[in-house]
Amino acid sequence: MINGLAALVLLCAFVAVSSSRMPALVRTFAIQSLALGMLAASVAYFTGSPQIYVVAGLTIALKAILIPRMLAYIMKRIKVEKEVDPFLNIPSSLLVSGGLAVLAYYITEPLIVHGGELTRNALALSLAVVFIGFFIMISRRKAITQVVGLLIMENGLFMAAISVTYGMPLIVELGIFFDVLVAVIILGVFAFRINNTFDSLDTSFLRRLKD
Amino acid sequence: MIELLLIIPVITAALCFLMNRVMHNRRAIEIASTVGAGILFIAVLLFVYKVVGEGAIYEGALFMDSLSAYMLLIVAFMVFIGAVYSVGYMGHEYEEKAFGLGRLGDYYTFLHIFVFTMILVCVSNNLGIMWIAIEGTTLASAFLVSFYNRDTSLEAAWKYIIICSVGITLALLGTILVYASSVNVVGESSSALDWTTLRSIAGSLDKDLLRIAFILVLVGYGTKVGLAPMHTWLPDAHSQAPTPVSALLSGVLLNCAMYGILRFHILSTEAMGPGFSGSLLLLFGVISMVVAAAFIIIARDIKRLLAYHSIEHMGIIAIGFGLGGPFGVFGALLHMLNHAMAKSLLFFGAGNVLLKLKTKIMEDVKGLSQHMAATAVLLFIGMLALAGSPPFGLFISELSILYAAVTQGQTLVAAIYLLLLIIIFPALLWHIGGMIFGKPSEEVPRGEVSRLNIWVMVVLAAGLLVLGLVIPGPLATLIGQATSLFGGLP
Repeated sequence: MINGLAALVLLCAFVAVSSSRMPALVRTFAIQSLALGMLAASVAYFTGSPQIYVVAGLTIALKAILIPRMLAYIMKRIKVEKEVDPFLNIPSSLLVSGGLAVLAYYITEPLIVHGGELTRNALALSLAVVFIGFFIMISRRKAITQVVGLLIMENGLFMAAISVTYGMPLIVELGIFFDVLVAVIILGVFAFRINNTFDSLDTSFLRRLKD
Repeated sequence: MIELLLIIPVITAALCFLMNRVMHNRRAIEIASTVGAGILFIAVLLFVYKVVGEGAIYEGALFMDSLSAYMLLIVAFMVFIGAVYSVGYMGHEYEEKAFGLGRLGDYYTFLHIFVFTMILVCVSNNLGIMWIAIEGTTLASAFLVSFYNRDTSLEAAWKYIIICSVGITLALLGTILVYASSVNVVGESSSALDWTTLRSIAGSLDKDLLRIAFILVLVGYGTKVGLAPMHTWLPDAHSQAPTPVSALLSGVLLNCAMYGILRFHILSTEAMGPGFSGSLLLLFGVISMVVAAAFIIIARDIKRLLAYHSIEHMGIIAIGFGLGGPFGVFGALLHMLNHAMAKSLLFFGAGNVLLKLKTKIMEDVKGLSQHMAATAVLLFIGMLALAGSPPFGLFISELSILYAAVTQGQTLVAAIYLLLLIIIFPALLWHIGGMIFGKPSEEVPRGEVSRLNIWVMVVLAAGLLVLGLVIPGPLATLIGQATSLFGGLP
């Protein structure tokens, strides 16, 4: 069950890479967060720890509902074109992501022996999600896709935290949620301002400052 | 009682916000900000005094040992200096109608929220909370970086927040792995991520996990420190932020991020000896110095020049900690304070020039000694200090690090280090000297923009001189105590 959900999270990362339209990308992120929340809930069920239930609830509320809504709102307000506009076309992007997933397994192999029975594969899966999130950030042109990439990276981390250690201390988890939320809000505000200043959300505008 | 240090900047920020929204009074905002920063500095001094005399203070998730006390001292002092300089600098821009009163109030509000996050970094015992605080510093300062709302400042802020957030995500993964190895030893408890707990069980932590965790943390927080090759956000953010913020980013924020690495460095040293984490710090330190030297030579914009100097000096600090030993660590710790003061002095000087001549391009500025004599003298002092010439503090700390390298038989590191310092010295001299001497290209009226700014700079210059001649007793004791925390002495 847990491994299945973890695999679903990784699958969503692949779907995100293959999304060619922005709303689809955001929706994929929402589904990934939902899977992550359910993963947390099942870990909570197996370990009987109430604080992981809280984390699961917060994951679903924030990352599966609130943040995707905010992103959709931003996209609607600034009337961004729907295409994702990748630097690298989608088939080769998928190929790179596959390579990254293999790399993640390779890196974590020496570590996996220490993990519990429950979570043996989860660390490799989470690292793969982190890598793919990072890849989305650097290979897509729009500012909003960078934000989604960052969020997918955070999802990967969350999966690592929940599966490897059955969750960090609650106060830390809450703080991380808070940081993620604030980061999205700030980036949203910047996205508005960038749009006003440049009339597009293309991050190629990030080329003025140089030596 | 440590909460007090966290409450002061929050109250200050709230007061600035209220003065802004309710009273619409510029002076009231400035007084609230300056007095708040002053009270914070005094409170930190009292705490530091207590730590030096009676040892570390532990209060649940918060704690203060000699290392955090020393960092707090740097933060609080530089924040106070920066807050006073802000009054002159931002006040002048406000008078020139560069922005309205509301924005001025916002500036001070965000400034003190930023201070809050930095204080939280220094007093967190829980490494998870420390991570949250370091991410918080990025979020709080992003608005300050984008303050002018120009296309370039938006670009700088966007890069800053994206690059640092990605970096710091890796640091979180490192923190999670440390937690995982700690849970294996002490079981699941809220103290399993406390630095003091981790240190006491460091010997039994899983070595493989700890190694990977340290690499992730070094790359993650290293992004925030500005270690090359993760430094790309730094020159943009430093050059686009308002000058007092540039000084704080460079002098204080980078140190706070370095502090995050140090906590893990100490754990790794306890668990596996200084070899592993030390040599990584050494490597990144040398790379940073090399990269910075190249960009320092070709710099045209003075704030970018100073930003690359930050990368250079963070490299020096990383080398000092990487070498370890009493001289390496002592030198690196002292260098943190010295660099903060010298860099602020130069940023403030550059700020005075920017206010008057409206340019950051060094070629366009000539003959400062003729029309801004005080700024010119202070810039000259700052330049000598930053380049590491006697009798200023940076000479002592750089010499101490060099001594550590030589006595430990790290001849190659010592040679590269010395060579780069020798290359950078004339480059800086040429850049800043070109601004100070010569004839002004056009008729510029004499005079400074703000008396207050000059006095702030005089304080910094005097401080650098004092640190170069004699390190005051209590400060030496504090740094000595912090040095002994690093253990693993060869």
